[in-house]
Amino acid sequence: MIKPIKVLMAKPGLDGHDRGIKVVSRGLTESGFEVIYAGLWNTPEMIVETAIQEDVDVIGLSILSGAHDVLIPAITGALSERGLLENVVVLVGGTIPLEDFDLLKRSGVDDIFIPGTTISEIANMIKKLVKDKLGKEV
Amino acid sequence: MKMFDEKKIEELKKKEFEWMDRTKNDPGAEKVLLGGSGIPLKRIYTPSDIADMDYERDINFPGVAPYTRGIYPTMYRGKLWTIRQFSGFNTPEETNKRFKYEYESGQTGFSIAFDSVTESGIDSDDPRAKDDVGAGGVHVDYLGDMEAMFADLPIDRVTTSVTISPWPAIPITATYFNMAKDRGIPLSELDGTTQNDFLLFTCCCHLIDQVPPHNLIRFCVDLVEWCAQNVPKWHPVSFASYNYRENGITAYQELGFLFANEIAYIEEELKRDRLKIDDFAPVFSYHLSSHNDFFEEIAKFRAARRMQYKLMKERYGAKNPKAYLLRFHVQTAGSTLVYHQPLNNAVRVAYQALAAAIGGVQSMHATSYDEPVCLPTDQSVLLSIRTQQILQNDMNIPAVADPLGGSYYVEWLTNEIEERAWEYLQKIEDRGGLVNCVESGWVHREFFRAMNDHLREIKSGEKKIVGENCFRMDYEPYEIPIFHPNPEDTLDIQIKKIERLRKERDNKKVERLLDELKVVTERYENVVPTVMKTIKAGATIGEVCDVWRDVYGIWKIPLPV
Repeated sequence: MIKPIKVLMAKPGLDGHDRGIKVVSRGLTESGFEVIYAGLWNTPEMIVETAIQEDVDVIGLSILSGAHDVLIPAITGALSERGLLENVVVLVGGTIPLEDFDLLKRSGVDDIFIPGTTISEIANMIKKLVKDKLGKEV
Repeated sequence: MKMFDEKKIEELKKKEFEWMDRTKNDPGAEKVLLGGSGIPLKRIYTPSDIADMDYERDINFPGVAPYTRGIYPTMYRGKLWTIRQFSGFNTPEETNKRFKYEYESGQTGFSIAFDSVTESGIDSDDPRAKDDVGAGGVHVDYLGDMEAMFADLPIDRVTTSVTISPWPAIPITATYFNMAKDRGIPLSELDGTTQNDFLLFTCCCHLIDQVPPHNLIRFCVDLVEWCAQNVPKWHPVSFASYNYRENGITAYQELGFLFANEIAYIEEELKRDRLKIDDFAPVFSYHLSSHNDFFEEIAKFRAARRMQYKLMKERYGAKNPKAYLLRFHVQTAGSTLVYHQPLNNAVRVAYQALAAAIGGVQSMHATSYDEPVCLPTDQSVLLSIRTQQILQNDMNIPAVADPLGGSYYVEWLTNEIEERAWEYLQKIEDRGGLVNCVESGWVHREFFRAMNDHLREIKSGEKKIVGENCFRMDYEPYEIPIFHPNPEDTLDIQIKKIERLRKERDNKKVERLLDELKVVTERYENVVPTVMKTIKAGATIGEVCDVWRDVYGIWKIPLPV
């Protein structure tokens, strides 16, 4: 049997709007993913530590505060320092203007989900990326 | 005063039945359609749907109980609603520039958006704050920041909503009050609002290091109690059902939670046995959502006014007519806006603003069309202000109060929303009231279920949203400017200000006052007078909140699953 894909869901920073991350976490669990819910108020270090401890395939980050241009590169930078960036799929969801996509992708983000994206679109993209980037059977 | 003759209603019912039967095979006749809140709708409404209504008892004139038609006799003829856009970002100095731009554009009130750090009662030099200082809202550490935000702005003529969580609401409001006093404005004349909403920041949006809900409600009510006695024109709470609604709940659940929250404040004050209902209920204010179902929202505003009257009169025996009035701000529903084809949002906002205007609103924020994408630009804020000014000037809305009063449909829907809202309120009461429902996680589960239902309805196409699940395009047809607040410098600037503050203030005095605050808190005395002095002496918001964290500890938020 193929092991389910393991996804860490976290909100970096102090922004407390957690409706989106809760809904996506529930949706992914129902779609057969194993979700580790780190929830609110994570520092980049906390996210990297949890990702290592839990040996996750995917890190899903939710940001609505507009601070994505600072917070996301801090997290991908920390992942890179620990040599993890190549071994994990990094996804961002939230109010991200299209013109910021490049900046985030250059920092190591694999894909970005904007408001209105359905759970099945996210689930399909996760499967594709886990297969393509991590070379895992899904 | 019954509006219809009983015999004629019986006759009409027969005729309506015959008409329904005769046209039952016409296109669409048999379709079951639901309103935005899932209420089944008939094809047409007639006097038979509101046959039991009594004009004076249920509707009456504006400014007359039960206030269904509006809280003032002349409504917009006497005073137009206040145009109050919610804004703030980066440093107080940067926000001051935006406020001036809004003021010069004809805005008639301010509303401060704070960053998550200020909302959490944390100072900018807390290491956990570094990436969020000034992001998504303005940061305030101490009195000097509030002064900078309102430099050269006439706070004696333009009212401000200090839109802050209850957790640091007292020290933040104390910065505003101290600023007013220093400018020579007596607190007895100061007009404005502190949001100070208990439910919002325990269930809709979460704050790090906040005290448990049953302790938080004490601070909520301390501010109400002190303002009711010392700052009578100030609204020390604005029950923000807008934010509860953003979780996907219905219009009637919005009202159920609104009144459950109000009741929680009332019960906390009454159990202290210091003030009577007539002494403090008149300072309450309200902040409702204007959502997508146009007529349902109008019915909701009307039902809310009638419910407030009944709650105050019948349940609490209030005699002061000011306690009967539901004076409310409206924010058009941000959650209805769509990321794709963002200019479409300007149209959504305009209709939602029209519903609020017809619904008898006192103050309004018309959400900016770009808010699903970024913080609003100067241009999108201007459009929000103009949207409201067009309603006030071009469209002849202000001439007649409650123009849909008497519509069979709207009157029926008003009754329906009211009835369902009372039922929902009863559910909360049966579970021991709102504070218990928050601590047990029941509210979190209700919100979570509502949001999942909402998403399911969008996915299945039961609910249609243009640009999201219909009329999608595979490219972006509108190019819009994106606002980049670039808060990076904010952290450095704020930390330097705090360093200077700690050098320049009388630290011994601040320490003494913080110790005094601890004693006052433990004695369950009203904390506001001590916080006023402490803030005046140069204490930071975080230092004040730390005293309370020491006394009460930190709340662990329940997960909905």
